[in-house]
Amino acid sequence: MMKIFQIYNFKFIICFLALIVLAWVLPSLYELVSPRTDKTPFVVYSCLDSTFIKMEVQDKQVHYTDFRGQEWSKSEADSLLPLFSFRQLVAEGRLPDSLYGVALNPKLIQQNAFHFKTSPKQLNKPAVGLYTMLESASGRVDLQLPPDVFRLTKDGLEFIDCETNKVNKAKSLSFSRELTKHGFAFPVQLIWGNGTTRKDYDNGFLLTDSNNRLFQLKMVKGTPWVREITNEKLKIKNYIQVFTLEPANRKLIGLVVDDAYQLYAVRCTGELAHIGIDAYDPQTMQITITGDLFHWTITEYTATDSRYYAVDANTFEQVACAIVPDPERPIAQKIERIILPVRLRFTSWRTQEIIPTINDD
Amino acid sequence: MLRAIFYKEWLKLRLFWCLAFVIHIGLIAYLLLALRSTLLATGVVETWATMIGRDVLMVNALMYIPLITGVCIALCQWLPEMQVKRIRLTLHLPIDYTMSIGAMLFCSLLCLCGLFALDAAVLAIVEQIWLPRELVWRTFLTCLPWYIGGLLGYSVSSWCLLEPQWKIRCVDFLIGAPIVALCFLTAQPACNIAMWPWLILAIPATMCLPFYSVYRFKLGKQ
Repeated sequence: MMKIFQIYNFKFIICFLALIVLAWVLPSLYELVSPRTDKTPFVVYSCLDSTFIKMEVQDKQVHYTDFRGQEWSKSEADSLLPLFSFRQLVAEGRLPDSLYGVALNPKLIQQNAFHFKTSPKQLNKPAVGLYTMLESASGRVDLQLPPDVFRLTKDGLEFIDCETNKVNKAKSLSFSRELTKHGFAFPVQLIWGNGTTRKDYDNGFLLTDSNNRLFQLKMVKGTPWVREITNEKLKIKNYIQVFTLEPANRKLIGLVVDDAYQLYAVRCTGELAHIGIDAYDPQTMQITITGDLFHWTITEYTATDSRYYAVDANTFEQVACAIVPDPERPIAQKIERIILPVRLRFTSWRTQEIIPTINDD
Repeated sequence: MLRAIFYKEWLKLRLFWCLAFVIHIGLIAYLLLALRSTLLATGVVETWATMIGRDVLMVNALMYIPLITGVCIALCQWLPEMQVKRIRLTLHLPIDYTMSIGAMLFCSLLCLCGLFALDAAVLAIVEQIWLPRELVWRTFLTCLPWYIGGLLGYSVSSWCLLEPQWKIRCVDFLIGAPIVALCFLTAQPACNIAMWPWLILAIPATMCLPFYSVYRFKLGKQ
């Protein structure tokens, strides 16, 4: 009999497979029996009270509190958050005429309302590697899908015509040359664009080159338009993440993060502005930005706490900050750690990919 | 002797293989026709934009087909052998049981690999006419774990079917089914790549197990 078919080898394989299955199935079953009910409150900065207002659903009712423990009624909370609840205040005729010397009207408030949300799970997934370059100045109100998509190659961009599935060499050369003319060194390191037509306008793509310089690229009347985003005062070494944004007030192009985990806003003028929060690691933190005319409320969810920042919407300087540690683990989770010391999981809050991890709660 | 075993397996399973071939090619043809129809009806630009922006590949109908094929071939191959204990005849052949059972397993595994490779090749060759290589490659990356699931489905089913005792058969199923399920943890395109090495390792690991069942059968466990 061949050596590999000896009986103890079979038993070893079966036991090994059984252990893997138990380490995976038992924690999953335990989680099904005792589901986690982590409810994170929605938090907005109140410029009137200079505090954060928490909105939490408890017993099927929304409770409004601040971090000092003060409770507010729904109507009081609406008054404290005039820019967040402006529609309710307009309906009740309670919208202030002006705030900080700025005359308020619903259109102005709506134009300056801004929301951005991303999480490690959204970022950590295999990229398709194809991008849609929309026409940024078509002269039409509605954006249209272009007849091609582009891929990144080691020495340029390559546009592929959708109808023929062939490379459009002239367009590829034109875009690659324009980037090179502006000092862009291929290959592209990071790239972000919003390929959807469901937006008011298009800011194109933010992309970094092999020398870690940041550029904006968009298509204007069928031709490439490139601009370098400067950072001389800020001395950023490496970018680790870029996001292109299209806020209604058109004041921003995007957000970028450097390797020191600092978050920067890219102004429409092509300047970078440091956002006054401590640190943001896109690979491990979920971030939510709720902006209004005067302030941005930035919420970061880390593995151990929730961090709330209020920054000035124009200067991006920090106005207020609150760090709330996560509540103690529920008893069911503590018991799980004792009775199931090895927990094998394949899904994670960090990524959409299926990756085996041990004891990664 | 081995050639005779291969011939016997061909005689036993040829109808099933023909049926599996027709079903697989039929399904691939259906998927390709559905893609073509979407491209014509919705427009190429819009279809590409959906596939890129929403990460849709239109091959989800294929997901469990390799698994069903793998389990069915194991049923067709081993159920008659175990029902009337015909496997005893194989075990009395003048070669080691590891050789005879190994030849039978290898035969089916090879045919399954061939069928799955044909599926993937037809899908890729036709898709690359209409789609850019990134989407074709992504389709392949998405389908590969499903095909590995088909091979694992065959080996785990063979292990359970060859087991002579019902209670041990149930235990084998409880260990084997989750291993197969690892191939189907997500339908998200290309999100199973990190699992490939483990899934590919699981194929030889589970292919050894039917030998243990036959060994127990030889010991006279009933």
